Amino acid sequence: MYPQVLFQNRKPDRIATLDEYRQSGGYRALTDVLKNYSNKDVQQAVMDSNLLGRGGAAFPTGMKLMSVADDASFPRYIVCNADEMEPGTFKDRVLIHADPHMLIEGIIIAGFASLAEKGIIFIRPEYENAAGILEREIEIARKEGYLGENILGSEYSLEIVVHRSAGRYICGEVTALMNALMGKRPNPMKPPPYPTEKGLWNRPTVLSNVETFACIPHIIRNGGQWFKDLAKTEKGAGTKIFCISGKVQHPGCYELPLGIRLSEIIEKYAGGMLDGSEFKAFLPGGASTQFLPNQFYDIEMDFDSLRQAGSRLGTGAIMIFDHKTCLVGATLNLIEFFARESCGWCTPCREGLPYIRDLLHRIESGEGKREFIPMLERMSKHLWSAYCAFAPGAISPVEGLLNHFKDEVEEHIRLNTCPFK
Amino acid sequence: MPKLVIDDTEIEVEPGIKVIEAAARLGIIIPRFCYHPALGSVGACRVCAVMFLEGPFKGVQMSCMIEAQDGMIVSTTDKEAVDFRKHVIEWLMINHPHDCPVCDEGGHCLLQDTTISGGHGNRRYLGNKRTYPDQNLGPLIQHEMNRCIHCYRCSRFYQEFTGYHDLGVLGIGNHTYYGRFNEGTLESPFTGNLSDLCPTGVYTDKPSRYFGRRWDYQRSASICINCSLGCHTTVSIRYRQVKRQEARFNEAVNGYFICDRGRYGFFYASHQSRPRQARLNGEEVSFAQAMDAAERRLGEFDPSVIAVAGSLRSTLETQAALKHLCQVKGWKGPVLFAEPKTQHSVQTAVKRLEPHLAISLKEVEESDFIIVVGADPLNEAPMLAMAMRQAQRKGARIVLLDPRPISLPFDFLHLPVPPDKLGVYLGSFIKSAVDPETANDLEKKAAEFYHNVPADIVTDIRSELVSPAIHGLRSSRRPVVVCGTDIVPTPLPAQAADVALFLQAVGKKAGLFYVLPGANAFGAGLLSTGGQSFTELIEDIENGTVKALIVAESDPFWYFPDRYRLARAIDSLDLLLVVDYIGSEAARRAHIFVPASSLYEAGGIFINQEGRVQAGPQAFLGGIPISETGAGDHPPRQYGARIPGSEDLPAWSVLADLAVADSQGSQPLGRTDIWKWLVAFLPEFENLNSFQQIPEEGVRFNLRTNTSQHFAAKWSSQAENKIERENNLELILVEWTFGTEELSALSSCLHELEWEPCMYMHRRDAGDLNLRDGDRVAIHIDNLSLEIHLQVVENMAPGLLIVPRHRQLNWQVFGPGKILIGRNWIQKAT
Repeated sequence: MYPQVLFQNRKPDRIATLDEYRQSGGYRALTDVLKNYSNKDVQQAVMDSNLLGRGGAAFPTGMKLMSVADDASFPRYIVCNADEMEPGTFKDRVLIHADPHMLIEGIIIAGFASLAEKGIIFIRPEYENAAGILEREIEIARKEGYLGENILGSEYSLEIVVHRSAGRYICGEVTALMNALMGKRPNPMKPPPYPTEKGLWNRPTVLSNVETFACIPHIIRNGGQWFKDLAKTEKGAGTKIFCISGKVQHPGCYELPLGIRLSEIIEKYAGGMLDGSEFKAFLPGGASTQFLPNQFYDIEMDFDSLRQAGSRLGTGAIMIFDHKTCLVGATLNLIEFFARESCGWCTPCREGLPYIRDLLHRIESGEGKREFIPMLERMSKHLWSAYCAFAPGAISPVEGLLNHFKDEVEEHIRLNTCPFK
Repeated sequence: MPKLVIDDTEIEVEPGIKVIEAAARLGIIIPRFCYHPALGSVGACRVCAVMFLEGPFKGVQMSCMIEAQDGMIVSTTDKEAVDFRKHVIEWLMINHPHDCPVCDEGGHCLLQDTTISGGHGNRRYLGNKRTYPDQNLGPLIQHEMNRCIHCYRCSRFYQEFTGYHDLGVLGIGNHTYYGRFNEGTLESPFTGNLSDLCPTGVYTDKPSRYFGRRWDYQRSASICINCSLGCHTTVSIRYRQVKRQEARFNEAVNGYFICDRGRYGFFYASHQSRPRQARLNGEEVSFAQAMDAAERRLGEFDPSVIAVAGSLRSTLETQAALKHLCQVKGWKGPVLFAEPKTQHSVQTAVKRLEPHLAISLKEVEESDFIIVVGADPLNEAPMLAMAMRQAQRKGARIVLLDPRPISLPFDFLHLPVPPDKLGVYLGSFIKSAVDPETANDLEKKAAEFYHNVPADIVTDIRSELVSPAIHGLRSSRRPVVVCGTDIVPTPLPAQAADVALFLQAVGKKAGLFYVLPGANAFGAGLLSTGGQSFTELIEDIENGTVKALIVAESDPFWYFPDRYRLARAIDSLDLLLVVDYIGSEAARRAHIFVPASSLYEAGGIFINQEGRVQAGPQAFLGGIPISETGAGDHPPRQYGARIPGSEDLPAWSVLADLAVADSQGSQPLGRTDIWKWLVAFLPEFENLNSFQQIPEEGVRFNLRTNTSQHFAAKWSSQAENKIERENNLELILVEWTFGTEELSALSSCLHELEWEPCMYMHRRDAGDLNLRDGDRVAIHIDNLSLEIHLQVVENMAPGLLIVPRHRQLNWQVFGPGKILIGRNWIQKAT
């Protein structure tokens, strides 16, 4: 059993109360920070921990906090992205349901690091339960003096509100999220300016994922080295909540060290493959990552090694596919989602994804032609020239399919039907 | 200055220029859909992709999104970039219908051109096309959403550029929709630009629908004469019918866009009611017969009882011909203005618009503080509102002093000041933004100006609301004073000029921008010096000192504020000769009517409100549209040597004929003669030499600086007549965007856009009179009455009634001059 940091207070049937959180050391980091730290100290502490953003992009959180210029204007904003819509990903929901104050404390500390006056938790509307929990617990935290004017008697003040998204995948993209918060269409905006420079209403805005914020109190309390040591690999840092789904015995959410091998996750934690199922492929980090075939069964699950394998750790949502699953069908399913969720801003994404969906649909239903494969390859490549990172993400499963399972695609075309049916 | 290489050619551009623009300067037109110089870059369509080989960016990148930088090597023909662009076109075409043969955009469609030049000829996509429902967007714009390629130009123009929000983007992904939440007429008065902007046929021009391809039309440059701004346009004519007007780029005036009043204001030219035949006492006669009769009849009068009148829409040539007639014949006039007050205001404006003060519409966009006084931009000169919005988007603060309930599509501070206080408020405002110490250091006249401005109101307006605006003026570097001339008291234009001078004296790059009450009001201001207005002319007719009247390009029944008195006077004339191109009331009553050519058939010079002399060239030969002479739109089956209904001559030419009528053996006069007359009156025209030499972008008419008029405006506040104010409300007549301008009022497609005429009254006054919003009220004046809907508002000056000079309204019952309405004359209509 590996140390449980983010899930240390996780219970099978209810959320951890404030007292339970405090008993486990909760809010000690905040007290310490407000008493003994400058905001730059906090930035440095996060920087030293090598914490990388857990929302999928893996941007160093310390660097993000430091990029708010000292003389930047006020008010500044701290935004928690709880718009968890990546297919296969459900860690943020589990985390909020497990220990909401850990998130709240993390936001307050990160808010202090950037001297934000207003915090916003931008949450997926389907997570109404979680939104309700957060609103209730924020109120409790306020009564305890952790939020509001002069937190714990310090100079620092912060309010946090919970904002329900209107409910599209693209709203989880940083700049689209900000547009949504400002009441505009959630189209992504190409930086510069960067959000930490000119974000919400042209003010500095620090935006991170739920899991990222939840790591921060522990980093403050235990130090950067401790956090780095949590990981199994040299370059990794911290634990990671993996969401395991697919053809395994025990799908679910597991907090495990970064860099743990996939084989260990499947065999030790997910209970192995389903009876009669053979491991065939997996998506390592949600729907917008590349399929990897069984030669990567032993891969170390961290940012670097997955990048080397040609995929990404993404959100850490691992989907396991077995030998009976048609990957053309699986890819089509994912592309259906992305084609639907494209914001419609740029041509490659808006028109290219439905085109690819059409090609895949024809292949899957036995109408495929040989020339579809080079078409898919060209278009996948061109989708990298879309406006934002949505299309490159969306096209990743197609690229994985073509890179590792082209035989399967060709077989569909040769047989004029799906061989798995 | 960044130096880069595009397709093996080096170019140096100023910093901030995007690669797509830098390439355009080399003559390399990179494909584009979403990019538009006025709307900027957003990187949505991805069709401007090029290959960046060297420099800070590498690989296939969008040329509209990247600024030219030193050391860049860019290839527009790189294989990978070309392949990407081909894919973009293919992607766009998977859903675009193949309906080019029945699409009005076909033939001048950016998508069509780009598809063909990109070589996308074979459809590979096997799926169905996406379809959308279309909306009825009103009388001007046809909506056909299936054709949409999602460039976002429409919504960006509509919402960001013009500031209206009833058209925008709905939905997501492949079903993104551009339209209104609910079907209905578009609210913006700038909607016609959508058909210019749309790179394909989603928004097409509704009035010209299915009438012709681009190459079927006779197309010509022209200028808009529906307000005083003089925007540049292109007219399209087919089958002798002026059918369509588009915006024509002009950097100094209108930029890329025009308003709907201007765009659709041309229908008078091919209107069914347009008189094409000369008439003598109601009988149709030939042109020659009418001219003979005119010469004979005019000869019967003593020159002193003949008067001539034009108007603010008469061409400069007509105005000059009228002036010339008066000089050589000893006739009265020319009478060009309706009322002495307007005449005085416009003449002052013309005199005070010295070269160092005058600015163009484009320069309004560049200003950082705008104070508007006595002008209603959206209603009087819509494109001015657009220019102000662009300034505001760049951070300019805007203050508006005007009694009317003004709405504009951007944030501004409105101080509803009664007309007679506009000047002192303006002065006080400026005074409060300048410290006395600064003022004392100025040269004597400027310092005196500062001290002469009444200060008592300064405290009055220095409220919380106003102080940010005062601060804005204090810190501004390029402030602009916009001054109206329609409803304002006569000293105001001079005061506005002095204010602009003063702002220059304190070191600001200040500009002055007048709004005038007609397309050629500037010309009228120059040429009617010393002359009367129509108000005085009426008196002359009434007392018998004028017995014959020549009216050219003018309809007093449109603009004179007492229709019954006018009718009586006109009917008492021994001779009324009307020369015009519209079937006006005056034309109907004329003893002799001579049809004139319109701007499109004859060309003409107009001077816009900034003194820009602009020539609209001849666009076609004229004649009755084939739709009227033939069966339907079919070309004629019988051919004749002459064009039916093309006997008309330009009004100035008709007048010139009258001028030489009794001189023996004289040659018919031409434009060169008119030019000679013009130069005689306005020596400034000498440098231009001829009509043809007026440059396409126009040329600023610069009166010499006259320092004796600097800081000479009077600031004394008129003594207030308390009793008069208590017993009466002052009624002011105003312009609206649609329905009050003479020529565009003949465009039936604009009728649907007109608001129902109403009278505005302040809530306080309505309360006193026990009237409510929406009431129908009657105003009784002597034996006449005007019935009108009441709109009760708070954002106007109390003590006033505001009524539009609307074509649907019989407003010409009030008489000239200041209109005081006794409170007890206003009653709820039963």
